[in-house]
Amino acid sequence: MDRIISWIAGAVFVFLYIPIAAVIVYSFNASEVGYRFDGLTLRWYAELFGDRMLGDALRTSLVVGLAAAVLSTIIGLLSAYGLVRFRVRGRAVFLAAILIPLIVPEIVLGVSLLTIFSSAGIPTGYATLVLGHVVITLPLSTLVLVGAMSTLDPSLGEAAADLGASPWQTFARVILPLLRPSLMAAFLLSFATSFSNIVVSTFTSGVGTTTLPLRIYSTLRTGLTPELNALGTLLVLATLGLILVVGVSQMRRILAGPPTPAA
Amino acid sequence: MTTFTQTRRAQTEPPRIRRPSAVAGYLLLLPATAVIVVLVIVPTLVILRDSFAISDPLGGTLGGFTLDNYAKLLDPVYAKTLGYSLGMAALNAIVCVVVGYIVAYFIATRSARTQPVLLVLVIIPFLTDFLVRTFAWITLLGSGGPLIPLLRAVGIDATSLVPSQLAVTLSLLYAFLPVAVFPIYASLRAVDPALREAASDLGATAVQTHLRVFIPLAAPGIVSAVVLTFVPTLGVFVIPVLLGGGKDPLVGNLIVTLFTEFRNEPLGAALSMVVLALMLLTIVVAALLARLRTSRKAS
Amino acid sequence: MNTRHRAVGAVLAVGVLSALTACASGAGTDSAGGGSSSLSIYAWAGEIPDSVISGFEKETGITVTVDTFDSNETMISKLAAGNSGYDIVEPSQYAVQLLVDRNLVAQIDKSKLEGFDNLAEKFVDPSFDPDNAHAIPWAWGTTGILYNQACTGKEITGWADMWDPAYSGKIYMLDNMLSAYIAGLQVEGLSATTTSQDDIEKATQKLIEQKPLLAGYNSQNYADLVGSGDACIAEAYSGTTAAKAVMANPDVHYIIPEEGGTLWTDSFSVVEGTSNTDAAYKWLNYTLRPEVAALLTDDASLASTNAGALELVKDQSLVSNPAIYAPADSLTKSEFIVDPGAALSYFQDGWTRLRAS
Repeated sequence: MDRIISWIAGAVFVFLYIPIAAVIVYSFNASEVGYRFDGLTLRWYAELFGDRMLGDALRTSLVVGLAAAVLSTIIGLLSAYGLVRFRVRGRAVFLAAILIPLIVPEIVLGVSLLTIFSSAGIPTGYATLVLGHVVITLPLSTLVLVGAMSTLDPSLGEAAADLGASPWQTFARVILPLLRPSLMAAFLLSFATSFSNIVVSTFTSGVGTTTLPLRIYSTLRTGLTPELNALGTLLVLATLGLILVVGVSQMRRILAGPPTPAA
Repeated sequence: MTTFTQTRRAQTEPPRIRRPSAVAGYLLLLPATAVIVVLVIVPTLVILRDSFAISDPLGGTLGGFTLDNYAKLLDPVYAKTLGYSLGMAALNAIVCVVVGYIVAYFIATRSARTQPVLLVLVIIPFLTDFLVRTFAWITLLGSGGPLIPLLRAVGIDATSLVPSQLAVTLSLLYAFLPVAVFPIYASLRAVDPALREAASDLGATAVQTHLRVFIPLAAPGIVSAVVLTFVPTLGVFVIPVLLGGGKDPLVGNLIVTLFTEFRNEPLGAALSMVVLALMLLTIVVAALLARLRTSRKAS
Repeated sequence: MNTRHRAVGAVLAVGVLSALTACASGAGTDSAGGGSSSLSIYAWAGEIPDSVISGFEKETGITVTVDTFDSNETMISKLAAGNSGYDIVEPSQYAVQLLVDRNLVAQIDKSKLEGFDNLAEKFVDPSFDPDNAHAIPWAWGTTGILYNQACTGKEITGWADMWDPAYSGKIYMLDNMLSAYIAGLQVEGLSATTTSQDDIEKATQKLIEQKPLLAGYNSQNYADLVGSGDACIAEAYSGTTAAKAVMANPDVHYIIPEEGGTLWTDSFSVVEGTSNTDAAYKWLNYTLRPEVAALLTDDASLASTNAGALELVKDQSLVSNPAIYAPADSLTKSEFIVDPGAALSYFQDGWTRLRAS
């Protein structure tokens, strides 16, 4: 059974990277149209570096994505901790409310958020973008962390308290380390969601704060240009680079947490 | 052995430990509550108000109160649209959660050093833009890509796979996979791996171990994955159009059209409210059923 | 080993990201001394070439920010919410009327304009904007048919060919209500600008008849599909994508259907309430210059509304490309699509029924 699982998981990873491989290959495609391969060129990379609007949009997306993901993960963690470990009432109502941004179609959410922002006199820009993105990523990070928190052995907290740890110490030195991989999962998911969001961003962005996917989506009517493949390739390379910088072993040290309890 | 039984009991019964006072809990929920009230509840109320408003033919609303919008929704056209969307969402949720569980389990059972790497590997494709990836799929599955010639070479007479239901299903899986993997991983990760040894020591087959130990324990994560894939799929409109041809009526497309080309925000708001009510109802029913199962098991 | 990994990784990550973000945006802030003014434009992507923007910035010292939208409706929603922050907006012809009705664009003060006479006759006092009171046309095009002759096996002449069962499964219509109805109405000999409920119902029936033959409704990548032969025939807009498809594949042709086809125009309007009127008018005057308008064709493969620009276009093959500039004789039956006003509800009913059929 384990072997079957490994095989399928491996196939899925390959599946995940097939279009990425295609994007990389086509970033060197000399043809202007996507359905034909005409030979190799670096032309699209040159165009990409000269495209200031795309560069601005990328910077906006990175800043907003990081801010929204950090906020979302922190708030999600606090909520998960409060929901799972404390005797609060109205848990179901809270969770239902958190899920609303997922259910309501983005265009409706976007328009109503814009209505609220403009009634409150808040100018659209980075702040409204980050707020909008927190709204749509909060359900994700909260659910991920609630799930992780629920599966944690509740007696661990009790054991720590019995051994004289203060609530803060229990949280910081017992719960948090065990949650680190899940925190990373919540953060990555929130960042990726924010980074790829189109519709809510349309309505919560302001002058000069167009996000990357928004910029790309607006080129659909005039046709996506191949330079976008170059952009995709570079983003993948940059992330791979980031992994190398942080260091695989470094990551393992940060995220492995305490050794699991032996039988 | 003792640890196993204690842990097992604690994780399947309602915890009999003293929960600290609720006050601290409420404080922790404050930030999220603030966000929810201001940025979720208020917008939802705005949408609710608009769903009863009179549509301004120029766009926007004229205020007022009318039940016309909801009356319009009784037209069977809307039921058909909802039906199609629910079907597509259900299919996607099932596919994503099954595949997601397999991948999450795989990652959670690797060495501690490999896990973060695998997680990041899952997310990297999503840092390229969604449209760029989608168009890559269109090229790959179309007659200009490598797949069709490959299939023809093996004797399958294939024309382009775009547009097709298969293309839509694959693309939806591709788009929602991390959303399914991450919550399930987060739950599985917190499960004591000693359980697996213990289960096999007790004579359980691999399948039984999954069905009776891991899946129930990772249930919160799996439920999250189901919700996080099913619900947003109801609102997708780009993938079905680009890879499916856009001939099927879908709620996502319809609501966007209502807000834009039709300039009928009140009707769009009403339809959104219906979808919202339907989804919340489903989630409530599912939650009640889950609680029923757990309490029945415990007794 | 670890250090080498880190070095490579650091170079990759930091280098790529900073090069893309800092370098590219730095190229934009080369304002001349005293450039305290700025101009915010909300426009269609790809319709304002970089050469036009940088030329304007260099001459006036005004920093230009261009944000792009994916549809007129999105643009109108953002403007309607108030305080959008934009000074100039680029609506399509039917959107101009909608913006005017909602008081979102200002009346143009002709006395501040220079070069208005450069506009081609067709775009002076057009039906969608009497007396050019609110919009100065910039780019124009047509809605017609893009087809692949290797796939169809013969020349295509009009909308009627899009109902031909021989091409079943290889036909695409635009995923846009008014655009699809152009075909549905004109193929029945009706006017594309009709507001008669009967006419619209006839067109709806015709479109429902067509649906089983369709591969789909597509406004995004129909050009690639026709180019690769995955599609034989598609309803299409003229302009950059159609031009690219025609130039890349000699089998691909763009035609105005014999039943008429329609014209579209994208114009510049001044947003109501903007304080930046000086800069806005400087922009209007700059883009009315023939040599600047010619850049639209050379750099963006779009047809310019400027009569004087035609001879200044450097690549004349673009002027004779029917996917960009439709030949005058094919436009005799073409009309401007305007907003149907109250008749919109007839279209809506029909479209909803069509999409659910």
